Amino acid sequence: MSFSDVLLQQVINGVSLGAMYALLALGFTMVYGIIELINFAHFNIFMVGSFFAMWVLKLTGLIGQRVILTGFPLVGVLLLALVGVMLFCGVLGVVIERTVLRPLRNVPGTAAMITTIGVSYILFNIILLTQGAAALNFPNPMPNVFWKIAGASLHLREVLVWFIALLLMVGLNVFVRRTRMGKAMQATAQDQEAARMMGIEVDSVVMLTFFLGSALAGAAGLIFGLYYNFTSYVIGYTAGLRAFTAAVLGGIGSIPGAMLGGVLIGLIESLGGQLIATRWTDVIIFTILILVLVFRPNGLLGRLVPRKS
Amino acid sequence: MLEFRGVNTFYGELHVLKDVNYDIKQGEIVCLLGGNASGKSTTMKAVLGIVPPKTGDIVFEGQIINKLPTAARVKLGIAPVPEARRLFPRMTVLENLEMGAYVRTDHENFNEDLEKVYALFPRVKERRQQLAGTLSGGEQQMVAMGRALMARPRLICMDEPSMGLSPAFVDQVFEIIQAINKLGTTIFVVEQNAAMALSIAHRGYVLQTGEVVLSGSAQSLLQDEMVQRAYLGQEMND
Amino acid sequence: MTQSLGQKVRAGGITGSMWRRIPADRRRKAIVVLVAIALMFLPLIDRNGGDIDAAANACAFAVLALGLNIVVGFAGLLDLGYAAFFAIGAYTYGILSSWQVQPEWWDFWTPFQWLGLVARIHADGVPDVVHFTVSFWLAMPICGLVAAFFGALFGAPTLRLRGDYLAIVTLGFGEIVPIVARNTPYLTNGAIGLNGAAAPKIFGYNFGVDSNPYYYLGLLMIAVLIFVSFRLQNSRVGRAWVAIREDEIAAGAMGINRTQLKLLAFAIGAAFGGMTGAFYVAKLGTATPDMFMFPVSVMILVMVVLGGMGSVYGVVLAAIILQLLQSWFLQDLTSWAHMLGHTISVAWLQKVDLVQSIELIFGIILVSMMLFRRQGLIPAIRQTPALSLEQQTAHAGRGGFAMPIRGIESAKAEPKRAMIETRKLSRRYGGIVAVKDLDIVVESNTIVALIGPNGSGKTTTFNLITGMDEPSSGKILLLDQDITGLPAHTITERGIARTFQNLRLFSNMTVLENILVAMHSRTTTGPVAAVLRTRRSRSEERDAQERAIEIIEAFGNRLLPRTNQLVKELSYANRRRVEIARALASRPKVLLLDEPTAGMNPMETLELADQIRSLRTMGLTIFLIEHKLNVVNDLADKIIVLDHGEKIAEGSAEQVHSNPQVLEAYLGRKAAHA
Repeated sequence: MSFSDVLLQQVINGVSLGAMYALLALGFTMVYGIIELINFAHFNIFMVGSFFAMWVLKLTGLIGQRVILTGFPLVGVLLLALVGVMLFCGVLGVVIERTVLRPLRNVPGTAAMITTIGVSYILFNIILLTQGAAALNFPNPMPNVFWKIAGASLHLREVLVWFIALLLMVGLNVFVRRTRMGKAMQATAQDQEAARMMGIEVDSVVMLTFFLGSALAGAAGLIFGLYYNFTSYVIGYTAGLRAFTAAVLGGIGSIPGAMLGGVLIGLIESLGGQLIATRWTDVIIFTILILVLVFRPNGLLGRLVPRKS
Repeated sequence: MLEFRGVNTFYGELHVLKDVNYDIKQGEIVCLLGGNASGKSTTMKAVLGIVPPKTGDIVFEGQIINKLPTAARVKLGIAPVPEARRLFPRMTVLENLEMGAYVRTDHENFNEDLEKVYALFPRVKERRQQLAGTLSGGEQQMVAMGRALMARPRLICMDEPSMGLSPAFVDQVFEIIQAINKLGTTIFVVEQNAAMALSIAHRGYVLQTGEVVLSGSAQSLLQDEMVQRAYLGQEMND
Repeated sequence: MTQSLGQKVRAGGITGSMWRRIPADRRRKAIVVLVAIALMFLPLIDRNGGDIDAAANACAFAVLALGLNIVVGFAGLLDLGYAAFFAIGAYTYGILSSWQVQPEWWDFWTPFQWLGLVARIHADGVPDVVHFTVSFWLAMPICGLVAAFFGALFGAPTLRLRGDYLAIVTLGFGEIVPIVARNTPYLTNGAIGLNGAAAPKIFGYNFGVDSNPYYYLGLLMIAVLIFVSFRLQNSRVGRAWVAIREDEIAAGAMGINRTQLKLLAFAIGAAFGGMTGAFYVAKLGTATPDMFMFPVSVMILVMVVLGGMGSVYGVVLAAIILQLLQSWFLQDLTSWAHMLGHTISVAWLQKVDLVQSIELIFGIILVSMMLFRRQGLIPAIRQTPALSLEQQTAHAGRGGFAMPIRGIESAKAEPKRAMIETRKLSRRYGGIVAVKDLDIVVESNTIVALIGPNGSGKTTTFNLITGMDEPSSGKILLLDQDITGLPAHTITERGIARTFQNLRLFSNMTVLENILVAMHSRTTTGPVAAVLRTRRSRSEERDAQERAIEIIEAFGNRLLPRTNQLVKELSYANRRRVEIARALASRPKVLLLDEPTAGMNPMETLELADQIRSLRTMGLTIFLIEHKLNVVNDLADKIIVLDHGEKIAEGSAEQVHSNPQVLEAYLGRKAAHA
């Protein structure tokens, strides 16, 4: 493989990772857009999601990478896992919001943020204590089909990952821009009190936002498993931090920004790992976070909100 | 139609409205006068359920609505034109109007009402695809009133509709308020521009440090010495 | 029934009632002294080395928790990577005292050798190398400084932004420090861990591996940090932190440099983290990256949250409870569970390991404390005295302030000059022009009123002058000096003070504290002086208190009885008075009053108008926004009328009121022409 082929291969990898980060970043950005809260529980909703997806796939009789499906069975199994994990995580997000975050909605200061850290930690440790510390094999029924592009190879699983991510993002965009509830979300993000005056039930909007954001995190959890063929209790922390950086890079509160930021962070991770060293990846991404905050705190696509006088 | 019966409200430990009574009848324009921090805006927030009364009742068409959430009140037919307009700045004018109709279930009449609003405010129709945040103050006020009308309300609560508008626009706004009223909507308006408000209102209340100190017909208020001194800029003409 | 209850109280409560007769602060002191003595004798009672070792570790974590409490509790900044500073201190000490880094010897090192900081190591066949031998007692402050330096480095860019970004940046920082430690084996020996960090020595006595000296050193560190925390809390710096937590914008208007003070808290916290790192590594003799991962940061945060954010004793108590839970209680509980499992033969009970669930417990503590007891185990409370009936009845006083207020420069005989001047000042928000090409001159020692309908740009003008908002174009001058674009606290320092239309008081502080906060820009006590209580800082504090009381006294019976009352308990009119008093406390040249009489009844309004007039007599320049025209006509030397952000008239009351444009703006076109 020539150097340019290696780079191409890393771009393919980077976009796949980026698709996952983008889905995860959307949850951060949507919740932040509505209630200005950094939801640290999101990190581990994603992690729990990947475990749930693993259980669903195992229930369908898949074991590791040995059972290969094609055609309708493959689509059916994946669709089942996707829908299942999204519903599960969505509900998990709503339960968290209803039980522990809503009572703190109007409490000033850091209380709500500290609570999300607590919730994140609880999820993390429940999985650690019940599932153990070892990484678990994630069933993957996809045949090892790939296409050669120049010297790089594009695997079926990558195409599938892109497809799922794209589908969900387009769906989310249509939902937010076209539907009544989606517009209520936008309105609430722009001016909560005015939205309330229009008769929008802000509590329901917040719940919906948590549902959607968490469901996307669940989808990202499935993608993680399909991409890496394993899952573990620790995956939420690193991926969450990267996805958050993606949300800040794109402009926190901005949905297209989260998508763009996600893909950029994915590319930075894979190309940075190639050109510098994998063990420095987190340092590079953290440096980017700091630089964005210093020089462009509104992110790439973030809007400058006129200050209220 | 709308009644306040001995309403008291608090912000933290601060007593804002003190034993306030209003009575607004079907088809009226009633204006509420008072200086800043006298409790005018709190009155509006109490009607809409954003600030709950600690004691006393708020009654709308015979029903006590103290405990109802804002959304339910809007469904009953109370629509706001909030202070400083509060449009959704990154939505188009049309989308803002759609948000006004958010609680309605009769979507088939939506276009009909939209046309009515456009007829009342031709300027709004021209700007319907523009982002609301980029409009001028006067245009924003038109959109805010149109947005309230899209809810097909029975009562519109307006908080300082003349705020920040040029005199020409102020005249226009008050003409439109009268026009809306003639179409059968009751209007409860908080205003600092007392002369203008009283010239179109049927009745009025005067608030001072959270208490109603004066009430009566618009005519009688216009002639009241205290109102003249405090709100009509009588001293200016001295 | 009643009788028996009474008897019981009498019988068992003789000591209790005596105890209650001691004043509350004495009682607290007595408890602290008793606990301290008990702790000092612990190693004599408990001869189990393992227990003392656990206690020494608990001390280290209590010190960390106290350090984090300064950041989270005092300044309100959520730091999720506090262990990073712990790590930086640990590795710094490790490098300064172990065999890890051994550069080649050359002459540069000779002076350090004389000072005893390095040793020259000679081995046959290889060049001589340097061995660092920095004493623990010197290294500890160095570790603190290094950690503070990194704290400032990462805090500076983020502390200017919204508070919640800091949480994520510190989380990231906490994540990468162990990674860097792992990836730089030259400095840290990577994942294997540093080797042979030296134990402290004092007067020839080597701490070695015995736990007792570390335990006593740990106790001493806790004592020092408790002392430092209290000194900081009750100082100019501590008050400024509370003000920032309460209302950032108002804190800026009081002359507090917010970024600087937050950075200070962040750096102080980091420094204590770093010093504890030195302690911990000296005790353990090694350091590995795993010792400083995210769970450590969370544990320290749990200590602060459990004890009560800002509560010094609470945090120490929580740190000790959690450490005991981990090293004693959960182990015992686990063995009990195993025994129970054997007797009733339940398989999972025989295998359960509760020590592993400690982190789960941490998570549960965080969530439940936030939901049910946000103030923590020992809340950082303050008591306010009740008002007597006499104090509650206010006498309306006319005639303004009877006595001049110190700190206001008396008017000079020289001709009037432009105190504030704006030139072509404009501010646009999206499609709305709030202020347009505004030219205003406020002459010294006059009262100038800014009037106009709501929404005509009056408050925006004030915000532009005081640096709360940035002009889109144009200039602002104070005594011919350009102050455009300066931050709010600098403008306050230069001599412009303001009040806010919607009142921005620090509602959970007392009246006196509110006024003391406003003296921030006129006082100088820094953190070091606050901790040491230097003679200068004491006299400064005494002077500030005296001046604050004088200002409160000027408002007579309205405020004086309420000096130690929390502001949130005051009436609306009194809050307005506190705002004015607070503005006066910053020794302004110009006072900007935004609707000072809003919410006041006619009597109170007249009283305040007299007071404003007497402020001018004392020499102050006053620029006010006011809606009550009778007040304006009565007070103002000059009236400026705004409409739509533009000046439409200027002059005396008569001139302005005969202006047709003004009538139109106020009354609407039709009414004006009717």
